[in-house]
Amino acid sequence: MLVSSMRATAMGLAMTMVVSPATGQDAIRVGSSIPLTGNLAFFGQHSRWGAELAIEEANAAGGALGRKIESDFQDNRCNPAEAVKSVSQMLSDNRYVAIHDGLCSSVILAIMPLIERAAIPLVVANGSATAIAEKSGVGGNKWTFKVNPSDASLAAALVGYLVAKMPEKSKSIAYLGESTDFGRSGSQGFEIALAKRGLKLASADYYQQGTADFTAVFTKIRAERPALLALYAVGADFQNVIRQYVSFGMNIPLTGRVLTDQIPPEILQSGVLDGTTSVQPYVPEVDTAQNKAFSAAFQKKFNSLPNLLSRESYETMRVLIDAIKRAGSAEPAAIRDALEKTSLESMLGATLEFDANNLAHDNAVIIQIRGSKIEVIGLNKT
Amino acid sequence: MGPGVDLGLPLQLLINGLVLGVLYALIAMGLALIFGVLEIVNFAHGELYMLGAVAAYFLTTSLSVGYWGTIALTTAGAVGLGALFYEGLLAFIAGRGFERSILLTLGVSMVLQNGALYVLTATPRMETTPYSYRSVILGDVSIPLLRVFALGLALLAFAALYVLLHHTRMGQAIRGVAQNRAAALMVGIDTHAVSRLAVAIGVGLSGLAGAALAPVYSVHPTMGVAFVFKAFAIVIIGGLGNLPGCAVAAILLGLLESVVGGFFSPTLVDSLGFLAMIMLLLFKPEGLFGRGVRL
Repeated sequence: MLVSSMRATAMGLAMTMVVSPATGQDAIRVGSSIPLTGNLAFFGQHSRWGAELAIEEANAAGGALGRKIESDFQDNRCNPAEAVKSVSQMLSDNRYVAIHDGLCSSVILAIMPLIERAAIPLVVANGSATAIAEKSGVGGNKWTFKVNPSDASLAAALVGYLVAKMPEKSKSIAYLGESTDFGRSGSQGFEIALAKRGLKLASADYYQQGTADFTAVFTKIRAERPALLALYAVGADFQNVIRQYVSFGMNIPLTGRVLTDQIPPEILQSGVLDGTTSVQPYVPEVDTAQNKAFSAAFQKKFNSLPNLLSRESYETMRVLIDAIKRAGSAEPAAIRDALEKTSLESMLGATLEFDANNLAHDNAVIIQIRGSKIEVIGLNKT
Repeated sequence: MGPGVDLGLPLQLLINGLVLGVLYALIAMGLALIFGVLEIVNFAHGELYMLGAVAAYFLTTSLSVGYWGTIALTTAGAVGLGALFYEGLLAFIAGRGFERSILLTLGVSMVLQNGALYVLTATPRMETTPYSYRSVILGDVSIPLLRVFALGLALLAFAALYVLLHHTRMGQAIRGVAQNRAAALMVGIDTHAVSRLAVAIGVGLSGLAGAALAPVYSVHPTMGVAFVFKAFAIVIIGGLGNLPGCAVAAILLGLLESVVGGFFSPTLVDSLGFLAMIMLLLFKPEGLFGRGVRL
């Protein structure tokens, strides 16, 4: 009796163990390969948080197709080779309906051929290299959809503003950016936008990610005496650049992609960055009801202000979940078709629709630092 | 020189390079000292530098300790940590094969880096001091005040190390162990105590570097990586275990990086040290000043 009872209990436990994974398989799964360690782990963390918040909100509202949505995050350290490995593994698992981002432009460009061969949609949230959209949609890769603006469209919006408001300074812009697709796309975007107005960059310098000391390149740029310095730096590099820019007494107004939410408060309050004019896909100061709701929910959940990475991932995951719902199916091809027909209002007030290159055109935020305060001076469609 | 020649740029690059080189030397010197005495390549040296910077950051921001107090406390803490590092780990592998020391220190490096990542997250932090945004201006040349302080502290540390090694009995013992451990043992030198002291000083130097540079560079778990590989190159270029060689190699590298970064492309800078190291390994494998234990 005891033996048969134990046998029954064991069989029951075994049944439970078999049933549990099946319940897990019922969820709609999205894969993501982002930097969770290394120099850009801070940004990867925010990207992950943004995606997780969108998923949590969607699940609280009933999920999609009556199923829960789940996401898996793997570390790529912003290294294309590691991203190819992790995404290949996810694709071979054959249980993901889409891949969400890769964070770094170089990584996204490396995994685009993989997702095309696997016929799985890739929704790009953070990578901003212009080449991503150029190679998507009519550019060849039908499975990649870029929700955030490209560097070219952001640079065009910024250069348009600079030429209109600071015509003399626009004639002498030096460029300093990281030597990645992000940094190189930034200078390319500036050059194209300036060339349309008969202008060109005064100089362009690039540095390796993880560089700690910028005194040599600052010395060089200062000797060139440009009117503006366009900066494309992120993560710990940005912190090093901005601190050394101030302590080295650069006195050249900044422009480009200056991460105003990452500026140390004492530097911002000192007033030395007054006159900085930057373009961003997002800043927390944007005054819309949707942004306020997002910002409050984000701070409540993560005890941290959102940044552009978290916001872009949040918005991109919303776009993907909306497509899954409209597709009426979790089949990748149906989701891809639904993504093409996206029409969703962004928290910056634009309607997100994909063009022929599968690039959405959200508003860009033009910001300026005035009197030690960050002011949004325009929301321009990219 | 003609009236049109602007000396500002080369002079500024020269000063930048000298300051950078001395800072490199401060980090590399501890590595060279530990290798000189124990013949152990400490792959965790970058993470010990990072720990120094993290400790300095928290002493300043959480406990409101002043800049000089932070330097003193962090360095003293690092010396203690170095002694523990030796007693707890290195003493068990000293003299038991090069591979073991590589695996052990590499393991410590991974644990410290990932532990810091887990505890502190990857968020870069900036230590702010009353001197953070002040500069010393000399004509066309400006040097951030904190770099001047770091330079002074490094020179002071080198002088103290020189006095210790060349004008004290303990220093004689360290040099004796570095030159011939077996002979030192035979004449009654306590090689265990000497090794512990060498590691304590080596880690103390990395702690001092971390504390001095925490207000200069951003503080984050992987901050040691950028410097430690350069430190390896410097130690090899200078001649493994050769402290004066290490100092000269560090200053040469700082100058070279500054000139190349200032006149050419910053993207070339990181490869310079390793290019120099490869050339030396091909044509002068003993290093610029001769491989060996010269303290």
